[in-house]
Amino acid sequence: MLSRTIRKSILDTRISPSALPPTFLLPYRARYFNNTAQHVEPPTDGFNASQVAPTSSENAQPAESTSSATSPITAPTSASSTATLSPSVKELLPLLAAQPSHYISAHIHGRPYLVTAGDIVRLPFRMPGVVPGDVLRLNRASSLGSRDYTLKGAPYLDERIFECRARVMGTESEPMRFKEKTKRRNRKVNVVKSKHKFTILRISELKINDLESIES
Amino acid sequence: MSFFRITLTRSGIGLPRRTRGVLEALGLRYRMQTVFYPVTPEVAGQIMKVKELVSVREVDKALTREELREERRPDPGYYVESAVPR
Repeated sequence: MLSRTIRKSILDTRISPSALPPTFLLPYRARYFNNTAQHVEPPTDGFNASQVAPTSSENAQPAESTSSATSPITAPTSASSTATLSPSVKELLPLLAAQPSHYISAHIHGRPYLVTAGDIVRLPFRMPGVVPGDVLRLNRASSLGSRDYTLKGAPYLDERIFECRARVMGTESEPMRFKEKTKRRNRKVNVVKSKHKFTILRISELKINDLESIES
Repeated sequence: MSFFRITLTRSGIGLPRRTRGVLEALGLRYRMQTVFYPVTPEVAGQIMKVKELVSVREVDKALTREELREERRPDPGYYVESAVPR
C-alpha cells in the first residue's frame, strides 16, 4: 500500500514539462492570439462619467430611472431552503472542507462552468447590467469537490453549503467575422458582419461553509 | 376546476387521417407542444384516441404561453452581491 503510493508519487513527478505541448498551443494561451485586446466598456445606459467620480455633484442624479431595461439581478429570488442536510453529507462535508483546494461546477443560465478559485471565465455572452468590479454571487452548482471527494447535487446542491463569488473583469470581443451570403443566379454578394462581446469573470472566492452556519 | 395538460410527444406523421384530425382538434401541431383543456368526458375521449402520442397530466390551473416559457427558463444562477458605484 505504502510502496504503491510512493511509486505513484514518483510517476506523478516524472511528467516533465517537455511532455506537454509548447505553451502557446495550450488552449488558455491560444485565446490570446484569437482575440482582440480586452477593453473595458462603459456601462450601457443611464450612465454618466461623473457618477464614477462623485466630486462633480451636479448631474449625478438622473440615472436612477433609466437603468430598468438592463437591470441586473440583484436580490436572491428565494430565501434559503430550510431542508436539513442528509446524514451522509453531514458526515463527509467536514472531510471535503478539510481538503486543500476545491472545484465547483457552477451553473449560469443553466450552463455548467467547472471552475476553481482564481480561474478566469469567458462567458459565451455579454452579461447585461453588470460593470467591471461588480461581485457576483454564484448560487447554483451541480457538483462541488476536491481531489478525493465530490459532492453531487440532484440536480443542484443546497446553496447554503458553499459560497462562490466571481468578480466581473470586463468585456472582451472577438475579431470581426465576415460571412458572404450568396444566392443562386444572382451576382449580389451580401457580407454579414458580426462581432460579439463576452463578459469575463474571475472566480474570486470559493468557500465551503461549516455545518453550524448551515444548520442555523 | 382541473385541467388536462396534454403534451404531444410523438408526431402524428404517417398516421390515419382520423388520428391526425383528433390532434388538430386538440390544437396539437408540433411535438412537445402543450395545451390545456378542462377535464370533461369529451376531451378524455379525444385523449384516448391519441393516447399513444401524448403525455397527459392533471393540473389545477391552465398556464399561458408565457408561463410555459418561464417554466422552461433555467435559473440565472447568480445575483449581483455588491455593485461598484455607477
